Amino acid sequence: MHKTRAIKDRLFTLYILTTSTLALIPVLHLIFVIVIRGFDSFVEGGIKFLTDVPPTPLSTELGGIGPSLLGTLILTATSLPITILIAFFAAVLANEFPNNPISKTVDIISRSFTSIPTIVVSMTVYLLVVVPMRTYSAIASSIALTIIALPYAYAITSAAIRQVPLMYREAAYSLGMTRWTTIYKVVVPITRRMLSGCVLITMARIMGETAALMFTAGRFRTGISLQLDRPIDAIPLLIFDYALTPYPILHKVAWGAALLLIIIYFIIFLAVKTIVKEVKL
Amino acid sequence: MNIWDPEKERYGLLAPLIGTLMTSIIATLTALILSLSLSITISEYLKGVLKNALSITIEFMSGLPTVIYSLWGIQYAVPILRDHLMLPLYNHFQFIPLFSCRPLSGFSVLSAGLVIGISIIPYLTALIHESYSLIPIAYREACLGIGATRYETIRILLGLCKPAVIAAVILGLARAMGETTIAAALVGNSMTTSACLFTPSYTVSALIASQYANAQLYRYAEPVLYSAALAILIIALTLSLIGLNMLSKWRVKILA
Repeated sequence: MHKTRAIKDRLFTLYILTTSTLALIPVLHLIFVIVIRGFDSFVEGGIKFLTDVPPTPLSTELGGIGPSLLGTLILTATSLPITILIAFFAAVLANEFPNNPISKTVDIISRSFTSIPTIVVSMTVYLLVVVPMRTYSAIASSIALTIIALPYAYAITSAAIRQVPLMYREAAYSLGMTRWTTIYKVVVPITRRMLSGCVLITMARIMGETAALMFTAGRFRTGISLQLDRPIDAIPLLIFDYALTPYPILHKVAWGAALLLIIIYFIIFLAVKTIVKEVKL
Repeated sequence: MNIWDPEKERYGLLAPLIGTLMTSIIATLTALILSLSLSITISEYLKGVLKNALSITIEFMSGLPTVIYSLWGIQYAVPILRDHLMLPLYNHFQFIPLFSCRPLSGFSVLSAGLVIGISIIPYLTALIHESYSLIPIAYREACLGIGATRYETIRILLGLCKPAVIAAVILGLARAMGETTIAAALVGNSMTTSACLFTPSYTVSALIASQYANAQLYRYAEPVLYSAALAILIIALTLSLIGLNMLSKWRVKILA
């Protein structure tokens, strides 16, 4: 081999490995920092960190993120089932009955909706739900979250459905099954694990969304509220608001909340990995 | 132009529009350079456990809530970037217009762009890696057959997936434009346009995030924000349709 070619090859390897490391450093640093700072807040707040209301900027007690945690749980519980239901039927429609105008429209709309800036969704829901209701509410937030999570849920559900080889469907049809029976007796059982993975990924997406809640949630964090037509809060929104304030005690709360968010996300991610890994066709 | 004065009902959207453009270009360039290397590392340099570990890490990164990047950005990334990137660039390369102003707080177009770029690395890497591994093995065999080095093989294969990489860049651009939480936290929220990357500015989504809540108090503030949102919506939708289209066309072509 000519010498310059060998040198070029080495230099290229060096470049690729250096830049790859460079790409990973920020995220590793971020996770490291969140674990350290968040752990401090956990220790300082104790178990009450999960239940108390947040501190005022000048208080000395750390308090907690109870209202936001409850809000995140409520919002996830209300928007996840609706999102999954609509996404599943849309995906079945677009993949199993692909040759009609409705399916094509559904497919195009869902795919382009992925790129809609989430803040625009928040504005729209504000106009259409918050203004007529005259109050920020959990309902408005759930609607915004559903609109944002739908295209994602649709994309991964379609990918799961598309993975079922055509043979299986042909076998079902040859037994005289109708299309719908084929779907719930053959396609769904085969993709069962992947579909549960889709549910979890969508859940992670809903729990981490911030911008959608900016003009819909109303940031109610001074107490516990279970009413769906009243203002609500969520962990990402709390992190965003507190990160922008100049008060160290609120930053502490934000770091603790961030660690909690990452832990929840990590558990969901692990669950997805263990469930989906064992898919066998 | 660069006015935001609800009291006098005078508004201008030049600064946020240009700010959006600048941050998303910086973000996409950063993400492109780093994700190209990452996807090559995954597909060419690593094997077995390490390869698995890296792809799982990247998958994990891709789902991280972006609000975490803004918290980290405010307290760590911005001060670090100011002291170790912006100040040295200012001190040594002031004569270049891009670096011609003194970085004060560090909150700027550059910080927002870089952190948004970091946050979209997993997305771009997934897109590029997927396309790269779609290339039929015959091409690789042909490269090995003529005795190409690894570098030459990669160059040829990357050349083959050039349209897919361009599509990934377009999709990344669309995503960077719509990013709200990181932009609103790091761009500095100031109505200025400047060629210098160290000045605080605005992006459309940051403007909406900070002004929309109070816009009802004034007569024209709301419609102005809607028009800004419409502009960004149309650009993002167009870009993503173009990108998705290019990607699917390329897939059909390379697999044929």
